[in-house]
Amino acid sequence: MVLWIVFAVLTAAVAAVLIMPFARSAKSAPADRAGEVEVYRDQLKELERDRDQGLIEPQEAEYARAEIGRRLIAAAGADGGRQQAALKTRKHTLATAVVTLVPPAVGLCLYVMLGSPGIPDQPLEARLENPGNNIALLVAKAERHLAQNPNDGAGWDLLAPIYFRSMRLGDAEMAYRNAIRLLGPNAMRLAGLGETLVASNDGIVTEDARSAFEEAVRLDPGNPRPRFYVGLGLEQAGKAAEARTVFEGIAKVSPPDAPWMQLVNQHIAKNSGTVAPGPDTGSEAAQAPGNPSQQDIAAAQNMSQDDRQAMIRGMVDSLAARLKEDPNNLEGWLRLVRSYSVLGDKTKAEEALKSGLKQFPTSGELVALANEIGIAVEGTAQ
Amino acid sequence: MIVEIGHYALVLALATALIVSVLPVIGARRGDAAMMALGTTGSLTMFALVAFSFGVLTWAYVVSDFSVANVWENSHSLMPLIYKYSGVWGNHEGSMLLWLLILVLFSALVAVFGRNLPDTLRANVLAVQAWISTAFLLFILLSSNPFLRLDPAPAEGQDLNPILQDLGLAIHPPLLYLGYVGFSVCFSFAVAALMEGRIDAAWARWVRPWTLAAWTFLTAGIAMGSYWAYYELGWGGWWFWDPVENASFMPWLAGTALLHSALVMEKREALKIWTVLLAIMTFSLSLLGTFLVRSGVLTSVHSFATDPARGIFILCILAIFIGGAFTLFAWRAPMLKAGGLFAPISREGALVLNNLILTVATATVLTGTLYPLILETLTGEKISVGAPFFNMTFGLLMLPLLVAVPFGPMLAWKRGDLLGALQRLYVFAGLALFAGLAFYYVQNGGPVMAIFGLTLGFWGMVGALADLWYRGNFAKVGFSVGLKRLAGLPRSVFGTAIAHFGLGVTVLGIFAATTFGTETVVEMKPGASVDAGGYSLTFDGMREAVGPNYTEERGHFTASRGGVAVADVWSSKRLYTARRMPTTEAGILTFGLSQLYVSLGDPMEGGGIVVRIWWKPFILCIWGGALIMMLGGFVSLSDRRLRVGAPSRKAKAVKPMLEAAE
Repeated sequence: MVLWIVFAVLTAAVAAVLIMPFARSAKSAPADRAGEVEVYRDQLKELERDRDQGLIEPQEAEYARAEIGRRLIAAAGADGGRQQAALKTRKHTLATAVVTLVPPAVGLCLYVMLGSPGIPDQPLEARLENPGNNIALLVAKAERHLAQNPNDGAGWDLLAPIYFRSMRLGDAEMAYRNAIRLLGPNAMRLAGLGETLVASNDGIVTEDARSAFEEAVRLDPGNPRPRFYVGLGLEQAGKAAEARTVFEGIAKVSPPDAPWMQLVNQHIAKNSGTVAPGPDTGSEAAQAPGNPSQQDIAAAQNMSQDDRQAMIRGMVDSLAARLKEDPNNLEGWLRLVRSYSVLGDKTKAEEALKSGLKQFPTSGELVALANEIGIAVEGTAQ
Repeated sequence: MIVEIGHYALVLALATALIVSVLPVIGARRGDAAMMALGTTGSLTMFALVAFSFGVLTWAYVVSDFSVANVWENSHSLMPLIYKYSGVWGNHEGSMLLWLLILVLFSALVAVFGRNLPDTLRANVLAVQAWISTAFLLFILLSSNPFLRLDPAPAEGQDLNPILQDLGLAIHPPLLYLGYVGFSVCFSFAVAALMEGRIDAAWARWVRPWTLAAWTFLTAGIAMGSYWAYYELGWGGWWFWDPVENASFMPWLAGTALLHSALVMEKREALKIWTVLLAIMTFSLSLLGTFLVRSGVLTSVHSFATDPARGIFILCILAIFIGGAFTLFAWRAPMLKAGGLFAPISREGALVLNNLILTVATATVLTGTLYPLILETLTGEKISVGAPFFNMTFGLLMLPLLVAVPFGPMLAWKRGDLLGALQRLYVFAGLALFAGLAFYYVQNGGPVMAIFGLTLGFWGMVGALADLWYRGNFAKVGFSVGLKRLAGLPRSVFGTAIAHFGLGVTVLGIFAATTFGTETVVEMKPGASVDAGGYSLTFDGMREAVGPNYTEERGHFTASRGGVAVADVWSSKRLYTARRMPTTEAGILTFGLSQLYVSLGDPMEGGGIVVRIWWKPFILCIWGGALIMMLGGFVSLSDRRLRVGAPSRKAKAVKPMLEAAE
């Protein structure tokens, strides 16, 4: 409401200023060519100066003088005539109407078309002071705090899992490492770091990640999460029997209705030699040509393809769900599109690309990725 | 709410511009004082509204209001404050708003300082300015609106393009725009004169200071851009004949011609029609430059976003204004009265020669810039027109002009004495030749042509001094009286001399740097040394470093002369992590007016790295000369006579018309 009052006042002020010339009574008419006469006089003076300095020959100066003089007389003569002509008073009904009507009409039409009157100002400082439930703001606030106090371990500890959930994996890794450096290692942090490393390596338990999980298990043997990853690492390394022992160990200590039991049982079954069918597995995707990361994965590990697919599928689905909730995550979209293409699911990759481009219409990275994996962007760009 | 008020102010500015576009013109036709006065108040109102709007956008940047899409796209809350300010024009939308702000600023200046102009002329000029404002307001509001909002607002911005996070680029656009847009005033004056069908003397008096102001800022803007390209891009060159550079250089050339023809018109009322044409051409080239840079036809650091709709919009503006102005010119120019007479050998004649050469030079640059574009459109063939073309055509054209520069101020008005001027100048020509030879001897190593180039540079410099020498008549009256005579001269004389001197300095820098400069590309391992320009440069090794928003590999170099270390410098390759953008940061060592320029290339196997080392003798003269030219412009602008141009009406009323009888 206040906004519209301000608009009204502003419009009225502009109209009032513009109408002022009409309100003044037409006083004396303009002495139109007065300036001209003065210019010619000044030119004559300058001519004298030039002549004194020898910049123009005396004879030439005389000619020039006559030239200017003629113009001066002409200008002075015209002046008087014009003064008479402009003395009559005029009515400005139409002009006044135009000046009064155009600002509100043009102003309102265009503004209603273009403006967003409902959106308040949102200076960052004020928003950070009162962030409410906005995760992004809370993160930004924590980041600022940590930029000032980089040795606040508790801050890093708090921020790390949030980074991980929003797929800012590089930041998550840094945050976990900082927290571990400042507060010392514990199972939660080490497992988190391990998971981050696994996620940034497309589901492969790397050497770094494995040692983090093993350390976590040593610190807290009862925690099933790091143990599962230790098992997964063994499985990927082709040590089926050892992996199975680990998975069975988890099953032994977990209640039978624990949410992770289904996954654990799948892995037990798989490492026993019987292949459990993974959900939604497109096994033809495994042979998708021209896919270096796929080949890398295949070369790096000897695990069964179906199983690996199932695991990746699970991670990808959770990523998709997260992005649906919080779509403002370019890295997440890139990862999702790439993941779908690795899985050979071209339709879903295209869908993800579309949603990503909707969120980041100018992202060259998304377009480049689309070209790389051979999805047409013409349709999506428009 | 403030952001929305800023948006609304911009819309209101459009409404005002529409009114000012129409009513004052009608007023001028009918001799209606009130309607003409609307031009003045309307222009001031427009300036107030746009300035407020620009202020609001700046505020949104400073407080990091990411609910404004433009701020979110081009800012970051942790960016240094100076780049938050410069980020306002470091993007397409904001830079167009700056363009508009400067345009309405010039309108407001005309409204304020033009109180003594003939009313009809002022009303028409302000209306033409308002037409341009209307076009650009529509462009901004409909296709490049900086006030579009995001809801919900993101928590952090996407950062400013790292290459733009530089002090040089923070001030380069405003200076350049002051130049570009300044020529709009000359354009408006020209169109207004054509509309009235008459050019009075006040017109002539008015065009020159505006041209001078715009030219001065454009000179500074181009020099700044050139120096930025030199130190930031790491190619070791200072001018690339890049289409974007040409886009700013063409208005400068045409503007220089306009500056000189306006001088003739102001003094002698000659060349009126030609000056009108030049005024239209100069601003047309400014608009063309804006189109080339903003439409995305050219890809460069300046085309922030390529959007065909914007390109077509600007193309329409271009077609309407340039086409309209030339049509008006073709129709009305024959009605204008031609001015004073002069002999071929005279000050006027020299200035005509200047104009002739400058316009042909502009045409060659225009051809070189547009030909590849047109060819690509027609045949799809991609060619690049580079330095060889421009050096052969533009360079050769400029040589006679540079020779002629010192003659101009020496020749008398109306009918000059070339022999006399030659006699007066031969001592100085000898001096210049001697200085050129001496310079060559000291540097010893360039081709013979260089002597002429260097001589040409010195010729420009001593020629400017010679002008002052004869003005003061030092030879006859002695030193102290000469000084007094100099003090009595109008400032524009000094402005001319200073600007011509600056031109000489720039020419000297160009020839010295290209003739005596050396380029060395070597693979260096730590401990290796290379000789350049009499210095020995030793590579000490590489080191990794982390900046606030980048990582870099920096190499350390020590320069020594005669075995004694005299200076050291870092040269680095940066990677801006947020945008994954690599940049080079050249290491530059300054010795007097010369520079040693070190740029890192790719690392080689075995621990070596490719290093490019340029020795650039007297390179600072190039930009120093431009600065001197700019100084000349300001000195000339401060001339008292420019303010006499449109005198107060009271003076006229009191004085009897005595002179008229003479």
